[in-house]
Amino acid sequence: MKRSGEAKPVNVAVLMSLTGLAIALAMPALIGSNQHTMLLAITVLIYAALATAWNIIGGMAGQLDFAAGAYLGLGAFTAGTLLIRWNITPWLGMILGGLVAGGFAVLIGYPLFLFRVREVWYSIASVALVEVLRAAFLLWDEVGGPLERYLPFYSESLYQSFYTMRFRSYVPLYYITLAILVAALLANQRIGNSRLGYYLLALGQNEDAAEVLGVDARSCKLKALAAYAFLSGAVGVIYASLYGFISPAFFSMNLSTEVAILGIVGGMGITYGPLVAAVIMVSGREFLRANLSTQMETLYLVVYSLALILVVLFRPEGIATVFRDAYARVTSRFAGDQDVA
Amino acid sequence: MSPKPIFQTFDLTKRFGNLAAVNNASLEIYEGEIVGLIGPNGAGKTTFFNTVTGLYRHDSGRVVFKGADISSLYPHEICKLGACRTFQVVKSFAKMTVEEAVRVGAYNRHGEKDVMAKVDEVIAFLDLEDIRKQKCAELGLAPLKRVELARAMATEPTLLLLDEAGAGLNPRETVELMAMLRRLNEEKDITLCVVEHVMQMVMGLCERIIVMDYGEIIAEGSPEEISQNEKVIEAYLGRRAAR
Repeated sequence: MKRSGEAKPVNVAVLMSLTGLAIALAMPALIGSNQHTMLLAITVLIYAALATAWNIIGGMAGQLDFAAGAYLGLGAFTAGTLLIRWNITPWLGMILGGLVAGGFAVLIGYPLFLFRVREVWYSIASVALVEVLRAAFLLWDEVGGPLERYLPFYSESLYQSFYTMRFRSYVPLYYITLAILVAALLANQRIGNSRLGYYLLALGQNEDAAEVLGVDARSCKLKALAAYAFLSGAVGVIYASLYGFISPAFFSMNLSTEVAILGIVGGMGITYGPLVAAVIMVSGREFLRANLSTQMETLYLVVYSLALILVVLFRPEGIATVFRDAYARVTSRFAGDQDVA
Repeated sequence: MSPKPIFQTFDLTKRFGNLAAVNNASLEIYEGEIVGLIGPNGAGKTTFFNTVTGLYRHDSGRVVFKGADISSLYPHEICKLGACRTFQVVKSFAKMTVEEAVRVGAYNRHGEKDVMAKVDEVIAFLDLEDIRKQKCAELGLAPLKRVELARAMATEPTLLLLDEAGAGLNPRETVELMAMLRRLNEEKDITLCVVEHVMQMVMGLCERIIVMDYGEIIAEGSPEEISQNEKVIEAYLGRRAAR
């Protein structure tokens, strides 16, 4: 009796995830003819993937990181430069871009964590990282510079399209982004249920207490940072392909802040929290922007900020908990009915 | 048979600016004993704990645990060697359930396969069964202290340093805690060093007491000896009372 009660929620969770995945997979068939909606869907997925990756360092390990743009930019520039200069396919560039971003993160993170830079000081350091990289790439003429560097134009040849990851339609890019999002979700799930996940959660809440219980805070944080940076770097390749160019503007503070906000609003440390937040907030933002800009160009920002404030006031633990609580209520009622029967 | 020291410090000093919070402190803890570390407020007991568990870097001296010099190790490395501690001001993992918090400690010596078995064992031993699914944020002080003890016990230490485990507990809770600590000592063979202000606990629990004042070790002996010791009375009550 007890055993089946324990097993059921897992099955329901798997079922819900698969339903979500099925809807996501069917999305292009439903809206594929509308280019604007497809672009919006990819944007939502990009932010969802970035915020889900952020959840590893920000939500679990509790490090308020604002450097998503840095890792995204590094991934984009690595893959973009490889493609433009040496005609190396972004499929390989995606892995290499992720590795460059992850490697760079470890290089930066090692001294930071060695000297116990944490809390607000860590946040400041991560902000600086984005700005410094943008300035560096503006000045670095060989790969960056102030002008956009264009990727090859999409080709009529199917092979060439796939090789350069430049498509006439948004649909293939949608699926590639979806794949990265799923990878980020799985990474969250795997880490969350492992020793590393428990260690990250512990040190995120109280680093001293975690350390005396045998948690190597430095190496755990480095692993979390590397995983987050790798995934963000891979998303950067999508970003470049979507825009068709690489530019130092990719090292964006706006994007970095928004990723962190999605992670916080969604619910720190909840695997699907950032995804829920991204779906609601990014599509909401785009909807407002499309519909309010006729009245006043920046009005959408006011509404957006108000929504944010409301969430922080009434659901500081994240909007994902609204669904979690509702789900718990439904299952408990369901279980109660069964007991009666 | 003379008892074997499991833990020793040699002339340990920790300064904050000009103030030597721990000053040339040398002491020994013997295997299997329950030793008390007492002293007036500000005597340096907590700083001593923080220094020997690697949270603070010491300025001079040496800390030896099981024959190995641990004075420059990180806290997690010291924990791996088998010395763990609790905190005076409870440092809980607020968002975790009791079970999850204990699991963090249990991972110290157990992999994914048997970690839950360890968690179950500790929870049963410390009688936390009815609150195991509760979030730490919802707990009161007494249960939180027990969770902290459980977390530390789950790391399977040979030496456990308890920083004021009895502070803020009512008399009944204090008696329960003492019984629990005695069981830890006897059944799990854990050597205990307790920093304590609650005299009932120190006198009832410890076979040996070390007294600190102004960062220095000023006396050492059995509870009876200590309560007669002039220096100790002076430290607590002032010079006149000692005469």
